[in-house]
Amino acid sequence: MLTIHNLVISRPIDKSFFKVCLPELSVKAGQVVVIKGDSGCGKSTLLEMIGMILQPDEISHYHLMVDNQNYDIADVIQRNDVNELATIRAKYLGFMLQTGGLLPFLNIKDNILLSAKLLQKNIDATRFDYLIDKLNIGHLLNKYPKQLSIGERQRASFIRSIIHKPALLLADEPTSALDPYNANLLFDLIIEQAQQDNIAALIVTHDWQRIENKGLFTLSAKLSSTQSSEFLPL
Amino acid sequence: MDNVTSKWRFITRLSLADLWYDKKVSFCIIASIISVITPLLLLFSLKYGVVAQLRHQLLNDPQNLEIKIVGNLQLNQQMFDWIAKQPETAFVIPLTRSLNTQADLLNDSSHFVNNAEIIPTAKGDPITQDMPLIDKKDQILLSSLAAEKMQIKIGSRIKMVITRQLDGKLEKGITELEVIGIIPETYYSRAAGFISLDLLIEMEHFYDGYQSKIFPTGTGLVDSSYPNSFARARIYADSLDDVAPLAFKLREKNIETRTQASAIENMQAIDRVLGFIFSVIAITAIFGCILSFSGSFLSNIERKRKDIAFMRLIGFKSKQVMFYLLMQAMTLSCLAFIVSCLLFLLGNCAFNLVLGKNLVSQPIVSQLQFYHFIIAFILTLLISFIVVAIGGRGAISIQPAESLREA
Repeated sequence: MLTIHNLVISRPIDKSFFKVCLPELSVKAGQVVVIKGDSGCGKSTLLEMIGMILQPDEISHYHLMVDNQNYDIADVIQRNDVNELATIRAKYLGFMLQTGGLLPFLNIKDNILLSAKLLQKNIDATRFDYLIDKLNIGHLLNKYPKQLSIGERQRASFIRSIIHKPALLLADEPTSALDPYNANLLFDLIIEQAQQDNIAALIVTHDWQRIENKGLFTLSAKLSSTQSSEFLPL
Repeated sequence: MDNVTSKWRFITRLSLADLWYDKKVSFCIIASIISVITPLLLLFSLKYGVVAQLRHQLLNDPQNLEIKIVGNLQLNQQMFDWIAKQPETAFVIPLTRSLNTQADLLNDSSHFVNNAEIIPTAKGDPITQDMPLIDKKDQILLSSLAAEKMQIKIGSRIKMVITRQLDGKLEKGITELEVIGIIPETYYSRAAGFISLDLLIEMEHFYDGYQSKIFPTGTGLVDSSYPNSFARARIYADSLDDVAPLAFKLREKNIETRTQASAIENMQAIDRVLGFIFSVIAITAIFGCILSFSGSFLSNIERKRKDIAFMRLIGFKSKQVMFYLLMQAMTLSCLAFIVSCLLFLLGNCAFNLVLGKNLVSQPIVSQLQFYHFIIAFILTLLISFIVVAIGGRGAISIQPAESLREA
């Protein structure tokens, strides 16, 4: 469903550059991929490039196969067609940011429904209720993000990122602010929802030990020098 | 189509929800816009109120536009036609010899004016332009001083008495005239009566010793022919700038003239100074207004960079984000403009009530027409639009990932 070849970016750090490289990646619908590595190795940068919110320096192949349509994302990126990229992000991508990723002026319910409303898409009410119950945030729906803890925001943000049933879920350290119980719960829910709705999920995490026995495909950052890292299958 | 409309409606609701959530910031932006729009409205209201009226009075005072003929000449109809045809001429009418342009005006034995100036008038006369038109020989317009001395009201009848010496005897010619208007003091300050040219010619006819139907005496020579040339003329230029060229043209025709040249120069200097002072203040204020708008809106966009990046992350297109920002700017500008107008009305009332009392001939100190508000409103929206479009473009051009990381 998702195939990427030779995705490269060099980012300035002080007076030098740090190169992040993904030689190859192939993810099937419903598959969960874990990205791990030390801090500063470029995990979030990689996720941002795959999420089309950061333009890579090089990309030879990036295809997304959804609804029997093959999107040549590499071509759209090279043309720098920001509106086409925005359309693809809105329809097929779900993002979950470290700090939550919620608009401060909308309550939690409106934040969760934001992507669906932008697409003018009706949501599955049963699924909505199920996710709310599962992550235990029903009592927070009328509150605003600043009234919530970071962990509560992360849980709400997860529901927002999958409520419109994206083809690809990108989660940047989704459990960084969660207690062990809720972290396990969220990982299990991500895997469950990915399999149930055929969502390909890429998860950046430092909590690898928590999921190492779940048999998930893992990309690990290899520091090839002090100025570059390469993401290779573990 | 419905889908598209509801999508834009959704973005509008989002932008308004953001403004409402950040009430304090919205209030600060509105306040900063009000603080520049209200003084600008008041400044322009003074320009179009007292300043414009003073300028108009200065530049259009008929006394400054008059070109007086020195001495008595023989001006025929051809010459009057030539003067009237000049592009600089606003009004011209024949005038008889100066000694024949005086008369006594009487209401009763206690209320009269001796040796009042009698001046011919007709349509287009700058002094009587707002008065009823004299179309009969038995009508007169009085200056306010003459009317005051005679305690006369419009519609009353007065007597005009002129005296001549014929064969060693003094003879009085008397006729009755209807007062059809009283000229304000600002237009003519001396005691005078404005009459038709025909009546003035009849006066001269009488003074010259002829019998007159209007001033019946039974004595004097019988002569029904009237002169076809006149000793002088009342000439008015169209504007202050036309006075000197018209006087020059008359001098070329051997007609010596006298004008208020130094007064005109003073008026024009005052006008230039007023214009310059106002322009400097207005340009500075408008420049400050643009800076204030830029400061308010650009800092607001900067503050929202993370939200903008997040919106783009979840799929908002550039034009949707721009619409979102513009909608906020337009809403804030509209609210600020409405409040500014209300504050302006208060200031406007204060100016007119307090300062208007001190200016007898100028009760309106501050005023703006409806179209001035429309122009100000459009300019407010336009400046906001341009500032936000530039700032928004800058925010959108940054990759979402960069903004999300900075926060």
